Amino acid sequence: MAHVTIKGLHKHFGAVHVVKGIDLAIADGEFTVLVGPSGCGKSTLLRTVAGLEQASEGTIEIGGKVVNDTRPRDRDVAMVFQDYALYPHMTVAQNIGFGLRARNFPRPEIETRVKRAAKMLNIDQLLDRLPRQLSGGQRQRVAIGRAIVRNPQIFLFDEPLSNLDAQLRDEMRSEIKRLHQELGATMIYVTHDQIEAMTLADRIVLMNAGQIEQSGTPLELYEKPRTRFVAGFLGSPKINFIKARLENAGIVFADGQTLKLPAVDAQRYAAHAGKPVIFGIRPQHIDRAPMTGSPHIKSTVDLVQPTGARTYVTFTIGGEPVMAELDAHDAGKPGDEIAIALDLAHFLLIAPENGNVLGR
Amino acid sequence: MSAPATRFDALSEWSDRHFKWLLVAPAVLLILALSVYPLLFSVWVLFVNYDFTVPGHGFVGLRNFTRVLADPVARWSLWVTILLSTINVTIEFLLGLALALAMVKSFRGRGLIMSLLIIPLFISPVIVGQAWALLLQRPFGPTNYVLSQILGFEVTIGWLTQAPWNFIALVLADVWQWTPFMFVILLAGLTAIPPNLYEAAELDGVDGWRAFWWITLPQLGPMIMLAITFRILDAVRLFDTIFVMTGGGPGTNTYSSSFYLYTLGFTQFHLSEATAGAWMFLVITAILITFLVRRLLKAEPT
Amino acid sequence: MSLITRANIARTLLLGFFLLFTFVPLYWMFITSIKPSDDYLAVPPVWFPAEPTMLHYTAALFAYRGLDGLINSVIISAAATLLSTVLGTLMAYSLARFNTGGQHLSFWVLSQRFLPPIAIVLPIFLIYRAVGLHDTHFGLIIAYTVFTLPVTVWMMFAYFRQMPKSLEEAALVDGCTRWQSLWRVAIPLAMPGIVAAAVFAFIACWTEFFFALILTSQTAFTLPTVFRAFLGFQGAQYGEASALAMVSLVPSIILGILVQRHLVRGLTLGAVRG
Repeated sequence: MAHVTIKGLHKHFGAVHVVKGIDLAIADGEFTVLVGPSGCGKSTLLRTVAGLEQASEGTIEIGGKVVNDTRPRDRDVAMVFQDYALYPHMTVAQNIGFGLRARNFPRPEIETRVKRAAKMLNIDQLLDRLPRQLSGGQRQRVAIGRAIVRNPQIFLFDEPLSNLDAQLRDEMRSEIKRLHQELGATMIYVTHDQIEAMTLADRIVLMNAGQIEQSGTPLELYEKPRTRFVAGFLGSPKINFIKARLENAGIVFADGQTLKLPAVDAQRYAAHAGKPVIFGIRPQHIDRAPMTGSPHIKSTVDLVQPTGARTYVTFTIGGEPVMAELDAHDAGKPGDEIAIALDLAHFLLIAPENGNVLGR
Repeated sequence: MSAPATRFDALSEWSDRHFKWLLVAPAVLLILALSVYPLLFSVWVLFVNYDFTVPGHGFVGLRNFTRVLADPVARWSLWVTILLSTINVTIEFLLGLALALAMVKSFRGRGLIMSLLIIPLFISPVIVGQAWALLLQRPFGPTNYVLSQILGFEVTIGWLTQAPWNFIALVLADVWQWTPFMFVILLAGLTAIPPNLYEAAELDGVDGWRAFWWITLPQLGPMIMLAITFRILDAVRLFDTIFVMTGGGPGTNTYSSSFYLYTLGFTQFHLSEATAGAWMFLVITAILITFLVRRLLKAEPT
Repeated sequence: MSLITRANIARTLLLGFFLLFTFVPLYWMFITSIKPSDDYLAVPPVWFPAEPTMLHYTAALFAYRGLDGLINSVIISAAATLLSTVLGTLMAYSLARFNTGGQHLSFWVLSQRFLPPIAIVLPIFLIYRAVGLHDTHFGLIIAYTVFTLPVTVWMMFAYFRQMPKSLEEAALVDGCTRWQSLWRVAIPLAMPGIVAAAVFAFIACWTEFFFALILTSQTAFTLPTVFRAFLGFQGAQYGEASALAMVSLVPSIILGILVQRHLVRGLTLGAVRG
């Protein structure tokens, strides 16, 4: 177990600049999830930590030791690959024990450690099979077994669940989380799936275009995003962004409807009064309002998508589509006139020119 | 965890660091020794006397080149090479394409026929020449007899000794051996065309010949380029069948460039002249390669 | 409907004609190899001899040194195949995984395949005579190694390219050196491709004539060069020539059909998957 420190890391592939200056400190035993859209450099960052890619610039320390020039085998890391990377010509037991054999462990010890790891993952009855005789979920377990059997300083996961179907993915996600709790090891996990990131991470590092957009606990990123990108990346259904103007009276949408802000907020954003802003609010923070009384916005229901307990309802505010997550019995039907209450304890104002969230 | 560094560790680090170069080194060194060095050596040979009939290696300037250029057989052999390559590759392409079209849909016995059709590819050209010589040669071969029976009059063609029949014999042997080459590659190309293209075309009312012209040929384009390029580059080296079937004869009538240079160097022992000729042939081939490979890379979809 | 039957008839005719075209020369050669010499000039030709004989085979192998040629061919082709496959696979791995030397190195190797043999073999002949490699097994072995390297390198290059590299990376992270990950993971997985490349290299050596003709004479001569004895007007050894041809073509045809699945890759140097 060890902490990892990355300083000023850059990676070029020929003319392509993939990782553009990453500084990151990962504490011992922390579960860090690198998340971001494809091509954001998260996998490259992980592979550089593993030693499969050479850093173009900057340093990587594992356990306080700079490892830039250390071979993967000498870094004492284990990695679980997206395609599992099981050796097809070896049995499950040989696959799991391969790392120990490569390091010349005595045979009896390999055997006991392989058995222990297999038991932990519930694959002890599969040890004599070949990878092609296993299901996707079983292969995934073998790949994880191969990592834990070595008891490495750091575990690296490169989108390990993306080849599984939805149900297995949920199951393996819990498994990995439990594994982290049991082993207490440092884990770095790459995914493009925000749900995996939210559920697994002690800390999320959200990357975009080769740089860290924001890092923090899942709740921090969800509740206090620093940029429009972060707000838009996390949360499902996606947060709504509505073009508007900030006036002294409140938020004025394109169709002239005005949302009066509470005094404390009005004061907080006073410096931006008179400027165009983007009003961001999550579908969960929109509800139906009584047609009279409390402040509300008026619109017409466009589209209704039931999912069970909750129903996604789409309508427009100021000409822009907005989605709300409503109680199934509250949803109405297309064409209905509705009054909408926006929960003003949870909204964001974003500067359109740079995407930064205002007031932070 | 980490053991003290040993000398072995240092060696293993070093060999890992230079891994990619260590892997290519043996092959590269061998090619340097047996291809690049000989070619460089032959550059020296170009400008000196290197002739088993004339002792010494004196500097002779461009004489080796001028002698070859002045030799009418050299020019004739180049025409023979161009003529035979063109005819061979054209016939092989057309026949190969026809065979590929005939074999593209699966039917009973297709696997067996496939295995039988490719057999000529695994036979030494010397033996192919031998086999055709046996079949055509007078008086031993049965060809003239069979033709006489069919045509109803006495046929007495000297297939290996009479122009133009000797050329036809050479073409027959080459077509026999290399049509399967075209066929195999074009068949791979045909099977790679997604069937839904044809289904879509059928819905649009396109079928038969029009489907062939509008879908098959354009889709097959890169593969055709590839097959023809590879085949041309081999066809211009034509030597073995000539050596076995006609011996270049009658006279120098069926000398290909390779055959001409071989006799110049190894039966007349004018080695430096042969080298000069070989270099000129190399340059022509290189131009051809550059031209063909350029077009090939352009035709490649990705 | 009539269109379909017409196409069927055309297909049957074409395939039938071409199969006949393919097998007549082979059949005639086989028949000649077992036909008594007295039947050679019979009119009409003897399509199947009443009394087949093996005499031509013994004569070809012993009187015409066919057996020596056969043994030389086995030794030289096998050794060259081994060398070419090992060196070619190593190089191909480096090119496929590390893009070593960029495109230049791989195209330089490819260009070797298209050099006219006459341009190479002339200077090699002169050098071999000078250093005493002319007419030696070793000389022809290394010449054949170089001559088959482009094929093995490019076939294996294409093979490694379509193998996922995550397996080798997993081995590296698991604690292997580069060499171990190559030896214990990549090579075993590439075995089918390596075997196919080796077979194509072997067939190329086995059927090669031009290099052997020039670089050997009385000691290291290979099977195809034995045919020189039957050329010209020295006599009508049709049976012996045919017998020797049968001996030579059977092994390479069997090998070729065994790796048929890889044929397209072999013929196009890996450019087409097949």
